[in-house]
Amino acid sequence: MNRLLVVAFSLGLIVGSLFLVMAAAYGVGGWVENNLFTGASFITNILVLMLAIVMIIATLLTIAERKWSAWMQDRIGPNRARLPIPGLSNNSLAGIPHIITDVFKMLTKEAFTPKSASKFLFNLAPILAFAPVFALFAIVPAGPTVTVMGKQIMMVSANPDFGLLYLFAIASLAVYGASLAGWASNNKFALLGGVRASSQMISYEVALGLSLVGMMIAFGTVKLAGDTGMSAMQAGYLWNTTILGVDVGVPQWGFLLQPIGFLLFFAAAFAETKRAPFDTPEGESEIVGYFLEYSGMQFGMFMIAEFVEVVVLAGVLVAIFFGGWSLPFGNQWLTNLPVMKANGWLLGAILGTVFWIKVILLIYLQLVVRWTFPRFRYDQVQKLGWQILLPAGLINLFVSGALILQDPSLKLLAFFGLAEIGVFAFLTVTPAAQVRREAEHAAHGGGHGHGHGGHGAHDDHGHAALPATAATTTLAASVAAGSHTH
Amino acid sequence: MSGVSPEQVLFAVFALAIMVSSAGVIFARNAIASAMSLVACFFFLAGVYVLLWAHTVAALQVLVYAGAIMVLFLFVIMLLTTSSDGPSMSFSVSRVAGSAAIVAMFGALTSVFVKLPAPSYGWTRDADAVATFGTIAKVGEVLYTRWLFPFEAVSLLLLVAILGAVVVAKARV
Repeated sequence: MNRLLVVAFSLGLIVGSLFLVMAAAYGVGGWVENNLFTGASFITNILVLMLAIVMIIATLLTIAERKWSAWMQDRIGPNRARLPIPGLSNNSLAGIPHIITDVFKMLTKEAFTPKSASKFLFNLAPILAFAPVFALFAIVPAGPTVTVMGKQIMMVSANPDFGLLYLFAIASLAVYGASLAGWASNNKFALLGGVRASSQMISYEVALGLSLVGMMIAFGTVKLAGDTGMSAMQAGYLWNTTILGVDVGVPQWGFLLQPIGFLLFFAAAFAETKRAPFDTPEGESEIVGYFLEYSGMQFGMFMIAEFVEVVVLAGVLVAIFFGGWSLPFGNQWLTNLPVMKANGWLLGAILGTVFWIKVILLIYLQLVVRWTFPRFRYDQVQKLGWQILLPAGLINLFVSGALILQDPSLKLLAFFGLAEIGVFAFLTVTPAAQVRREAEHAAHGGGHGHGHGGHGAHDDHGHAALPATAATTTLAASVAAGSHTH
Repeated sequence: MSGVSPEQVLFAVFALAIMVSSAGVIFARNAIASAMSLVACFFFLAGVYVLLWAHTVAALQVLVYAGAIMVLFLFVIMLLTTSSDGPSMSFSVSRVAGSAAIVAMFGALTSVFVKLPAPSYGWTRDADAVATFGTIAKVGEVLYTRWLFPFEAVSLLLLVAILGAVVVAKARV
């Protein structure tokens, strides 16, 4: 019972603080639009969305990753640091005080530069790793456009005409940090990491761009924010009806229209975050990684850049594939309530909170993937990028284009997408041949297999029961199969 | 500040940065530093494109040149370069002649650009003319209607180049 109270309080704290921050963001935006100059709300959005929310979530992720991985491995996780707050001085506070100790450790350690390193590039690399990743969030809308204090407030930091091109352009710069860090360190292992980072990025960039073209054709735009942007388009329905005044139906969300596009983009963008299973540039068990020679806060920049990239990727996925800030049902009902019409900031804050909750769920998905899959071998990474993702992206593009041309209302595309999801679901619930064999073996062998049950942490029988989407599993399986034939 | 618009100040900043970084491309002894100067040069060039109202071209400049192509350059340099120092400066007849030709070319271009008429509208003043100019819709429309044939011809040329590279590389591997 006590545990339930703590969980309820924590959830309330997270949702409530997101709501308050989003309400404040709209309020401040309206105030500066009225009292400073037109467009000033974009500047306050940079402060609130990018500097405050994204950075705070990224900082909390440093502890969340350790806690969630501990859950998955049946451990408790970090819980020893304490804060000298009266009444809470013997409470682990879910390990959050560890963030403070981590930050102090990084700030106070010496930022050591190896003697034979290229000094300027060595110091430039952490900046080049962090800055592009941080700038990526600028075009992701975190809330609807509403009227606050008589002014239209867009909850986005920038809404350029070329939209997603900005995303691709800045994301392609992010790899310089890793490859330069590897080269400038004058260390063979770091150089290997840097070269692996560049080659991985080269093989995934094409698939990354190609996977989103289907969504661009479907909605006829490359913008994310604004009235004609992808987020606002996804608030509509494919099929809908009204029950007790509330509109319900199948929303026009991207992953229903383009399931393959979603999987391809997710895989390619995951490879760009350089996290497991695509962590060959880091490969901590073999080459330590491109940041081998970095220490102190310079290493911290690489680490926080990775976590910021996780948040940004979740935000981009939500904005393109999971309906942005819209609810799955009841959008029109909520928007047309008299209290919402009178108070634009309230509607904005509620839908903004919905956006961030979706972002947190997708961050959780990314961490689950990171702690579930084993690392792809180097040639498997290349094969997946060039021989599977790229052709699949091209086929998806042609099929989607034909379906949209046939039926511009997107219903045909949605039928096709739902059928694809059905196939994925069927493949997921059908156990792989290896799992079936092992199950039969266990049934015949009696108590033979039970010795494994008690482990958890470093048990490597996790291969057989990957709880992932079928497509990713089949992709991984076909990569493995492909490599056997050579 | 009379007569100096913010755009002119920005142009001066970008132009100076382009000159400094392109000088870095030539004079840097180290191949990686030279490549990074080229990245910086492309980046500042994108800034000049923005000042010319070519936003989409600026984004494509960063995406294609500063991002994709230079990452490939850097990859190749890191994979193949063994020494970090480049060749030392030396003078020969062909180099001196080449430098003279470059200076002459620069002089010729300067004399032409000085004589070009000034644009009839200011950089920010003609709002109607620039409302759709350089947007991705406009660039796409022009690219796929008026310039469709050159566009496809260039794609074919690139395809031939890729096939040629594969043939040449396969013979050795």
